[in-house]
Amino acid sequence: MEQALTRNFCIIAHIDHGKSTLADRLIELTGTMRHEDIGEQVMDSMELERERGITIKAKAVRLHYKANNGQTYRLNLVDTPGHVDFSYEVSRTLVACEGAVLVIDATQGIQAQTLANTYLAMENNLVLIPVINKIDLPGSEPERVLEEIVSVLGYKASDVLLMSAKTGQGVPPLLEEIIRRIPPPTGEATRPLRALIFDSRYDAYKGVIAYLRVADGRIAKGDRLRLMSNNTEMEVLEVGYFAPQPCPATELTAGDVGYIATGLKSVVECRVGDTVTTLQGGVTEPLIGYHPPKPMVFAGIYTTQAEDYKYLREAIDKLNLNDASLTYEPESSPILGYGFRCGFLGLLHLDIVRERLEREFSLSLVVTAPGVTFTITKTNGQKITINNPAAFPEPMEIEKIEEPWVKISIITPSSFIGALMELLSESEGVYKYQEYLGQHQSVGELGQRVRLEYEMPLRCMLTTFYDQMKSRSRGYASLDYEFTGYREGKLVKLDVLVNDMPVDAFSRIIPPDKAHDVGKAMVAKLKEVIPRQLFSVPLQAAVGSRIVARQDISARRKDVLAKCYGGDITRKRKLLEKQKEGKKKMKNIGRVEVPKEAFLEVLKLG
Amino acid sequence: MLPVKDIGDLLSEISTLYIIDEAAEITMEANPGTIDEAYLTAVRKLGVNRLSLGVQSLNDRELALLGRIHTAAEARDAVCFARGSGFDNLSLDFIYGLPGQTLTDWEHSVDDALEIAPEHLSLYALTLEEDTPMWTAITEGFLPGIDPDIAADMYELAEDRLAAHGYSHYEISNWALPGRECRHNLTYWRNLPYIGAGVAAHSCMDGHRFANTKDLDKYLGYFSGKKSSLLELDEEINPELELAESVILGLRLGEGINADDIKSRFGIDILAHYRRQVEEMAAAGLLEQTDRHLKLTRRGRLLSNEVFWRFLPG
Repeated sequence: MEQALTRNFCIIAHIDHGKSTLADRLIELTGTMRHEDIGEQVMDSMELERERGITIKAKAVRLHYKANNGQTYRLNLVDTPGHVDFSYEVSRTLVACEGAVLVIDATQGIQAQTLANTYLAMENNLVLIPVINKIDLPGSEPERVLEEIVSVLGYKASDVLLMSAKTGQGVPPLLEEIIRRIPPPTGEATRPLRALIFDSRYDAYKGVIAYLRVADGRIAKGDRLRLMSNNTEMEVLEVGYFAPQPCPATELTAGDVGYIATGLKSVVECRVGDTVTTLQGGVTEPLIGYHPPKPMVFAGIYTTQAEDYKYLREAIDKLNLNDASLTYEPESSPILGYGFRCGFLGLLHLDIVRERLEREFSLSLVVTAPGVTFTITKTNGQKITINNPAAFPEPMEIEKIEEPWVKISIITPSSFIGALMELLSESEGVYKYQEYLGQHQSVGELGQRVRLEYEMPLRCMLTTFYDQMKSRSRGYASLDYEFTGYREGKLVKLDVLVNDMPVDAFSRIIPPDKAHDVGKAMVAKLKEVIPRQLFSVPLQAAVGSRIVARQDISARRKDVLAKCYGGDITRKRKLLEKQKEGKKKMKNIGRVEVPKEAFLEVLKLG
Repeated sequence: MLPVKDIGDLLSEISTLYIIDEAAEITMEANPGTIDEAYLTAVRKLGVNRLSLGVQSLNDRELALLGRIHTAAEARDAVCFARGSGFDNLSLDFIYGLPGQTLTDWEHSVDDALEIAPEHLSLYALTLEEDTPMWTAITEGFLPGIDPDIAADMYELAEDRLAAHGYSHYEISNWALPGRECRHNLTYWRNLPYIGAGVAAHSCMDGHRFANTKDLDKYLGYFSGKKSSLLELDEEINPELELAESVILGLRLGEGINADDIKSRFGIDILAHYRRQVEEMAAAGLLEQTDRHLKLTRRGRLLSNEVFWRFLPG
């Protein structure tokens, strides 16, 4: 096929704006699959993705389209992850394309991730085709959204397509526009091979399947290739494309998008963003500078039953085969036993990993409060990085603490500005910028839409921030964030002591002026959830040796079976047996017996 | 109540099968409002020599809360009938720890009970069972919940008050004047064999604890040959379990247990066998050991479940 007849594009959108539905419609319209064969949504194949309405892993589908000019085109549709946690993967996907369809929901307009994705696409010199989707919905406001696109993104109204991916209305013209506006790929099949990996997954039979875009040269079965970041060598076991099921082909050439089966054992060896070239006579310069995505959020993952540790290890190893951005190292806690300190791209990534571990591997987990990586300069000049509060040095040993900050962008109807600004300031946010989107006169009852830009410590986003933002804006506000760097912070470690014993899993890093409030809340929660013991139990929150909050659980006084006669000895003994069984399920903090549920309740506390 | 004639038939039937000790304790249980002096006089004559009255409370509001059919006045009448018909071994049952009951309420009840001067008293803390009307009322907020600390105060108040009046606290929930401990019930707590006759009756002997069906039709069906078994429960009590039960039941007694007695019965020295449990519970102040003797402390009686489950096998 001539390169001139190829188009590589992706669809970018804020979450739930209809990206996957549009992909399905394009697959159907080009006859790649029949309507009745398309499952729920072809591009979201993981069960979890479908439930959460997001796309976690990018995939690529080849479509053949007979255009109005009589020519048949090869359209490679590359799917992108739709969540900010995976923006690194989105950016790699964009490099594999010459154009993108920007989908905007006619009922919602421009949202935070619409902007983030648009800027990313522009940085990568992609041709953008803006479309307003869901015009069939009763609440849709295509005119207002069109005006927003024109004033915020700078497109001409005539550039924008209106459609309903669900009903198919307005979709056929998009195919023509893709061919007309998006340029064919450049690159020479005769030059040495350069191909960009934009996704990979592990297959038990073929090893790692790498999804790639060939920039120059060609790849055929049996070729011996090299990954440029780590010089891993491999032999191509199979080459092909997806339509949407895998179709083996004889070769992929410059401009093509497809896959190769590598036989590699783990996706960690074959990372998104890496460049592939031939083992002999290859290039020396990669397509783009490669750097693996950095985990930003950390949490300890333990099994509720200590003896299940080995299953957790197996499960995380397996998950990592398909999720190279998950980092983990063994750690142990005096109370939780053996587990892993895991690094995630963000909170959603953490949630997905936890859910997959519990669902696909049937594990019952304890996940500690999520935290960030701190850089600490000690008074002796030593610099250390810490992602577990338990490892924090003593206050007097600390010269300087630095923590990651993010720039966040929130788009909200103006009536929620006050509530959101209050939340942002409670969350240590620093105001940067505020702008109104569009000049449309007919503002709704919630007011004109505004973009707020703040900077804040990533630490403050990790617990209830997102939920709070959604509830204080009645679900209207949308959020995007990006890491901006480390800044010095005034922080202390708050310890929680149960019966004078510090519980490492409860420790958290907070500003000193919040120590009293947070300490009080934790101690109160513990008092509520820890049952009374045979002795009185002091609960304390402390910064160093300074106690900032204290409550006592008084000793239990009465646990007695009043009656025990001949007729009920067996029944009463069974009650005691039940009591004994219950004790076995307790976690011990020193001499204090704590039900597992109580432990989780406290960990959940923000 | 069972007609006097039936009680007479029962007792004479037993005496044809067994030799009844002259000093045997023969107890009858009755609720106030169901008996009069004539009835009690008649059964006393038949040989019943101990009467246990389910008084529960001498406060009408509490009796109503408990769903009892009798009033406090009827309870006092029942006591008069008992004394008038010649019962000199009288036991009264009381319940405490009721929703809304104060320590002062209970103090009055205990004083009222002492004024009656029964030979024996059983004081039971209310145990709230799930799905009972009271449980529902508490769960739905119509009644205040039961405060275990107040119930503990009530127990200790009764302990002190009854001790001052010469009652010995011979079992967790039972008090008696000297020599008036219930001999029948002591059999259970000493984990000795017993036999129960009739529908729903429990027995324990030869390494088994078993119970007759609660269903009267089934029970009668057995005797007319229609049913092959009348047992509803038949539990094998292996020696390990029997030992544990002997310790648990024995510790309910004020005198506690003697390691030598247990050793002569089971051949096991419990002080060595349960050393870890004994040390732990002694350290927690729930159990006290004097030479070869183990008993619950005052605090241990109120927390006896914490002691008992530790002695269960497995």
